[in-house]
Amino acid sequence: MLFQVIVSGFVIGCVYGLIALGYSLIYKASGLMNFAQGDVLTLGCFLGYTFYTLLGLPYWLSLIITAAIAFFFGMGEERFIIRKLQNKNVLTVYVVLATISIQYILQNSIQAIWGPNMLSYPRVFPWNNVTIFGVNIQTESVFCIIMSFILMMLLQVFMNHTKFGTAMRASALDAKAAKACGINPSFATGVTWGIAAALAATAGILLGPIYGVFIMLGQTIGRKGFAAAIMGGYGNVIGAIVGGVLLGLIETMSAAYWSSTYKDMIAYGLLLIFLYVKPTGIFNEKALNR
Amino acid sequence: MKRLLELKGFCYSYGNIQVVKGIDLYVDEGEIVTLIGSNGAGKTTTMQSISGLNPVSGVKGEIWFDGERIDHLKGNLIAAKGLCQVLEGRHIFSQLTVEENLMIGAYTRKDKKEIQKDIDGMYKLFPRLEERKKQDGGTLSGGEQQMLAIARALVAKPKLLLLDEPSLGLAPIIVEEIFRAIVKIREQGTTILFVEQNSNIALATAERGYVMQTGEIIMADSCENLRNNDEVKKAYLGE
Ligand SMILES: Nc1ncnc2c1ncn2[C@@H]1O[C@H](COP(=O)(O)OP(=O)(O)OP(=O)(O)O)[C@@H](O)[C@H]1O
Ligand SMILES: [Mg+2]
Repeated sequence: MLFQVIVSGFVIGCVYGLIALGYSLIYKASGLMNFAQGDVLTLGCFLGYTFYTLLGLPYWLSLIITAAIAFFFGMGEERFIIRKLQNKNVLTVYVVLATISIQYILQNSIQAIWGPNMLSYPRVFPWNNVTIFGVNIQTESVFCIIMSFILMMLLQVFMNHTKFGTAMRASALDAKAAKACGINPSFATGVTWGIAAALAATAGILLGPIYGVFIMLGQTIGRKGFAAAIMGGYGNVIGAIVGGVLLGLIETMSAAYWSSTYKDMIAYGLLLIFLYVKPTGIFNEKALNR
Repeated sequence: MKRLLELKGFCYSYGNIQVVKGIDLYVDEGEIVTLIGSNGAGKTTTMQSISGLNPVSGVKGEIWFDGERIDHLKGNLIAAKGLCQVLEGRHIFSQLTVEENLMIGAYTRKDKKEIQKDIDGMYKLFPRLEERKKQDGGTLSGGEQQMLAIARALVAKPKLLLLDEPSLGLAPIIVEEIFRAIVKIREQGTTILFVEQNSNIALATAERGYVMQTGEIIMADSCENLRNNDEVKKAYLGE
């Protein structure tokens, strides 16, 4: 029982982590919070469903196409909406409000395209369960955890050990200086939004076979991913992962051993206490206005 | 001698306030030229416009670099052409290591194999940077940050190096060290245009100088003549 609880905690925790990574990347690059992040997960889930279930493409191919579409969606969102607003020098809250608009437009569009009913993926793997430590675990759950960790590691390597990743970090820190070094900061920011969206959509297609496909899937997860990003230290990439897994575990544990009705209350109560005690997050990101 | 940089009737306005009012300025290949002037004269505006870092909507007049008109190009493209600037206030990437800062400096270069050699060359020019190469840029002292900013621009192998107030906020002894490095960079063949508040050291370092006042160039001459000019002496050299 305990082991199964931990595994499901990890599954949802990894998904929070992927979403939180997106929040952190966007925050670093644009100084914003993007409310639409969770709904891109929903979009990914539906796109994956379309390619895999409706069109019968292989699961891995559906995953790649979905991530690619989401990448361009994120890049477009930044270029045609966010940057246009930022160039007008409006207050940050206006831009955040724009992301809320995008969130609802996205939700409604998904409903318009795919309808309001809950859908489900067929099994992805020919075997239903894998046995770990004598406990049966759904194969898709294990896959979700492994894929999440692979993605997080790839992102870490990309950001820290490639020329373009380093250039993206440089642009996020100081756009003018980056430009003076020959980097196109707008492009770097766009790619950052693209990666954030691709991560979210991938989380969606990983989660689809486990949770089902429905319109509101991403909204709650999006908010919790945001909570995870802050717990880890808003803007900190490693922190996002740790925060995500931690929140997933806390939530799943409280549901299993305490009350599933009050699991959100418990998780968010802890978050409030956490904010008070350690506003800089686990990884000490700058959070205080000084 | 080849004309590397030329401004013709260059004006710049922020909104409808014109802060640079039609200046002519040139730098030939191999020269070291300074632009001096008091606070708010428009020096930084001019420098950053040359590098394409100011909104181009404010630009009037022409800027030519290496035979090409660049006044409406994006800053990153200008940098890629070999016109690199050490920005006023240093602008190093605070959360990137010294080494990463230098790697970013070489961002536009295609000859990957040579980059590490040139970074090592920078460590020779500024040994203090080598000791700190794994350290975040933000943890360096002001002087070290200025050295890093200069080194970062140099690893791009620029045809023309612009420096905006390299002495800003530094102790006199560090200022001397920085200027010794600038002279060395010049001797190694890089053409330089620099802005400086410290007119004494500027006119002692450069060959030619421009004096800017409220958006206009009021004097242009060899540094020797400028040093001996009574007006300059009184207004800028504190004599
Ligand atoms: N972004 C901006 N928006 C509006 N006005 C500006 C802006 N930047 C500079 N100015 C104005 O343009 C004028 C010239 O400024 P600039 O920074 O070019 O002067 P400077 O010669 O570099 O001065 P300093 O020696 O103090 O660095 C100043 O009056 C300044 O207030
Ligand atoms: Mg200035």
